[in-house]
Order: sequence, then C-alpha cells, then structure tokens
Amino acid sequence: MAPLVQIENLRKEFGSVRALDGVSFTVEEGEWIAIMGPSGSGKTTLINILGGLDSPTSGVAVVDGTDVARLDETGLTRFRAEKIGFIFQQFHLVSYLTALENVMLAQYFHSTTDEPQARAALVRVGLADRIEHLPSQLSGGEQQRVAVARALINHPKLILADEPTGNLDEANQETVIRLFQELHAEGHTILMVTHDPSIGRLADRRIDLAHGRLAGISVLSATPD
Amino acid sequence: MFARLLWKLLRGSSGRLTVAMIGVISGAAVISALLNLELDIGRKLSQEFRSLGANIVIAPKPSAQTGAGAASLLSGNQIASDEIARGLAAVNSPDVAASAPYLYIVAHVASVPVVVAGTWLDQTPKLDPTWKLDGDWVASREDNSHCLVGGNVARQFHLALGSQLALAYLAENASCTVAAIFDSGGAEDNQVFVNLPVAQHLAGIQGAISLWQLSVGGSSKAIAAYAQRLATQFPGLDVRPIPQVSQAEGDLMGRIRLLIVATIVLILVLTTLCVLATMAALAMERRADVGLMKALGGSISRVLRLFLAEVGVLGAVGGVLGCAGGLLLSRWMGQRVFSAAISPRWEVFPLTIILMIAVALAGALPLRLLGRIRPAVILRGE
Repeated sequence: MAPLVQIENLRKEFGSVRALDGVSFTVEEGEWIAIMGPSGSGKTTLINILGGLDSPTSGVAVVDGTDVARLDETGLTRFRAEKIGFIFQQFHLVSYLTALENVMLAQYFHSTTDEPQARAALVRVGLADRIEHLPSQLSGGEQQRVAVARALINHPKLILADEPTGNLDEANQETVIRLFQELHAEGHTILMVTHDPSIGRLADRRIDLAHGRLAGISVLSATPD
Repeated sequence: MFARLLWKLLRGSSGRLTVAMIGVISGAAVISALLNLELDIGRKLSQEFRSLGANIVIAPKPSAQTGAGAASLLSGNQIASDEIARGLAAVNSPDVAASAPYLYIVAHVASVPVVVAGTWLDQTPKLDPTWKLDGDWVASREDNSHCLVGGNVARQFHLALGSQLALAYLAENASCTVAAIFDSGGAEDNQVFVNLPVAQHLAGIQGAISLWQLSVGGSSKAIAAYAQRLATQFPGLDVRPIPQVSQAEGDLMGRIRLLIVATIVLILVLTTLCVLATMAALAMERRADVGLMKALGGSISRVLRLFLAEVGVLGAVGGVLGCAGGLLLSRWMGQRVFSAAISPRWEVFPLTIILMIAVALAGALPLRLLGRIRPAVILRGE
C-alpha cells in the first residue's frame, strides 16, 4: 500500500534563503510523526507545503495520491478543504464566531454545514458547556480544543499541527496531548511540529530537521512519560 | 451558514460599518429627496407659473380685425362674450383656475384719455396674482360701484383709496370708488379696472368684449392640448398660450434639472469615497480572518461573496433608511421652495436603493485586495 505522505527531494527557497533543502521521507496512514528541530530549520515550511498553504520550489510532495506541487490555486483550496485538518499554535479562531460557528465554518468551506455534527465534535473534545462561547470567553486550552474539533470535522486524511501546545500551560497541554493520543488511537495520521521532546516522544517516529535538511528519522516508543 | 456568517460579520464590524452606514443614509436621503424634487418639479413649476396668472388668451384673429370674421365677431376687434362663455362651458376642464372676459376702451378722466378695462373683477386675483395691492380686491363681478386703479393713474389724478373716479366715453359717463391701487410693473399700471357692465355701458355695447383670458393649471403639454381644444371650439378666433410663460418655464426647469443631476452625481461620488475609506480600513482588519478562511479551504470567491453581501446589505439598509429620510427632506424642501409638499414618487425609492447598493459595492473595491492574501504569511503572524 502506498504511503499517505511521500516527500522526495523537497526544496523551498525564499529569495536567497533555502528553507528546505532536499528533504525526503514517507508517512504511512495512521502514523503520528513528530517534526522537531531548532527555529528556522524549516519545520513550519514543511507543514505549510504539505497542507497546501505554500508551494515547493522543486521536488515532490504527495498527500493521499495528490502531488501538492502540481495544484493551482483552486486545486490547493479544495485540497485544504478536503484532505487537511490544521491546528495552529495561535489557535486562529474567528473572534466574532462562537465555538460552534468556528467549527461550522470549516464545514461551510468543505461542503455543507451540519450543526449536530459540529456540536458532537465539540462534545468530543470536552467542550459541551462552551459551545456558544466566543473565543474571548474561552481559555487557551479550550480554544485549542475548538481548533482540534474544527480540524477533525471534515474527516481529513492528514492532521497537521504546528506547535499545538506551544501557547498552553501544563494542565491544558496535557488535555490537548491526550486528545492527540485519542486521535492517534482512532487511526488518524498526524504530523506535529513541536519543540517539546516529551511531546515528541509520544509519536511513532521523530523527524529531525536542521538548516532545511533532514537531520535524522527515529522510531520512538509510544509510551507516555 | 451564509446568513449566519453575514450577520456575525455585520455585528462584528458594527462600529466601522456604522460610519459607512451614516454616509450611505445621508447620501440616500439627499438623493431620494432630489430625485423626488426632480420628478415633481415639472408639476410644481407649472403650478408656480400658473400662479403668475393668465396663460391662454382668446382674441380675434388678426385678419378678423379687418371685418372678415366668424359669426362670433361683432365688429373689427370685438367678440361676443355669450358665445365664448357657452363654448368654454362645452370644453370645460378642472384645470381652469380662473377665466374672465376683457373689454378695453379708451375713456377720459378729466379730459385725459385713460385705458379702462372691463372684466370680472372677482377673477382678477387669480388672473393677476402678482399685483401688489393697496386696498381690497373687488369680490363680486356684479359690483359696478368699485374699481381698481393702476399706480400711475392714481398718481396722475391724485387718487387715494375711497376716492371717486369719474369716467367718460363719448356721451356716456360712469363713476366708481377706488377700492384698491395696484402696482403690476406693467402696462396695467396705466389702466383702470372696472366690472364688465360698466365698460360695456360706457362703450354703449352689450355682450361685446375684446378678448378672454384663462389661467389653466397642469404641464406645458396639458396647457397646449387644452388650447388646441379651445382652438377647435372657436375656429374663427385666435387661441394661444402665452408663450413667455411656457418658454421661461422650460428654461428654468432645464437649469434646475441640470443642477439636480450634477448634485446627485456629486453625492454619489462622495458616498462612494466614504464607503471606500471604511472598507479599506475593514479590509486591513480582516486580513487574518481571510487568511484563516483560505487556510480552511475557503475559495476567495466564496470569501469575497460573504464580504460583498455584507456591503450589499449596508447599501440596501442605508438606502431604505435614507429613502425614509429623503421623504421627509423632500417634504421640507417642497414647503420651503413651493409652499406645498412634494408628492412622493414611489419609483424613486427602488432607484435610490439600487444606486446605494451600487455605490456600496463600488466602495468595496479595497476588499479585492483580500484576494491576494497568502494564508501562510498571515498565519505566521506577518
């Protein structure tokens, strides 16, 4: 069976800066991959290319049989809506929409909205009593859980999480990581950028980047600390 | 979800949108008032011009003065008043505001020749409404003892209100009490106005008049059409609208319409600029939201449709509220300018609302900049 994600000799240049320099690896369906490395190593650029937010300068980035590098703007938009679930460090919720509406927004851009399904997604992440709250009325952990519900609502093939616990206190980190463990257990494919080695150790494999190059791939124990 | 998002967008940006909304409401109010005025101005101006007095004259044809006239002609320059009255009754129109026969003779006052006009003095206030009067109108056409005296005549013969004026014509004499001294600014200032029987008595002719004047309301076209009906009714007579009034009316109306259209265009431009400024600020504020929406798979056309719908609502609501304000404004302008309310023209309202939606959409041009947003850049917080 073909891997869900296949990256070959991926390069990305911003002017004279080479953010990614010939990165290659594959990800099987259902794997949890931790992408680690120092700031400026190209982690976010890699995530953005896999999520169709950015285009590579050269190389191949295939997700679920789709070569992202070959998609035009319209194709990238549909790709993002149908195959990717994003979770950002800054949560990126729309401030004037409730938790429920933020989740439904992803449904709206995917196809049609289904309010009961969106409510169920929020209940699933433990926000049954915060459904009608605005982001400003939610804690950081709660906002990130709304983002997780939003990322899952369209059943994406790949969940891309860029430092999902980077803005959370310890208690909320634990809650969000527990959610990721549940998602992994359910068979979701997760690529997570993190600086935190303890979180990185929870993944199936760890991909290290340095100066835009692949610095190593390690197979990890999935046993939590 | 579209309506839900739209509502949240409107609520979320209510502060900035209120500024644009005030601009649109103000623009719509003035534009709808001006359009109402523009469409109603023909009728109002006609009324105003009609208030200037007589605008149709029935007189002998120039050729008839040589004696070759119709049956209604009595002598070279006189016509039979009874026949005219019967003819007018046959082509009666509710637009006829006033109507009176006139018999002009040159009588003498203290051996000095003075033009005496015999008419129905109860019609004079409507046929000559611009006269400045010192004294009272003569209220009855049966009152043969009072007369109206032109200012020049009064000065020449040292007449005051209540003075007795002796008139002589050939062998006949008559006298009247001065009821009023008027200033017309025209030839009438040299004339004495009496009721028709007095002039006919002096001239020694019964049932004969020099001409008939009418004051008819309505548009220039309606007046011309009525004059045409009169011409058909009186084939032997010269029926003509008073041309100076129609010409002046047309010239003035053209100038006012040009001014109104220029003002409307100016207001549309200013309203567009107001919306443009607000939308430029709003577009900057919404860069993050648009970046996120694109990251979630929202096509730019779908995202922009949302924002354009918001602007459309702004234009429509502003247009409706502005129209309501415009209705009041046009009534006020009508009262101030014409001393009568401008009648609301319902076709103005959809036109104003469409104009406001178009203006709002034109003002939303900065939103197209949102199409260039790259979500990766926005999500990085740049």
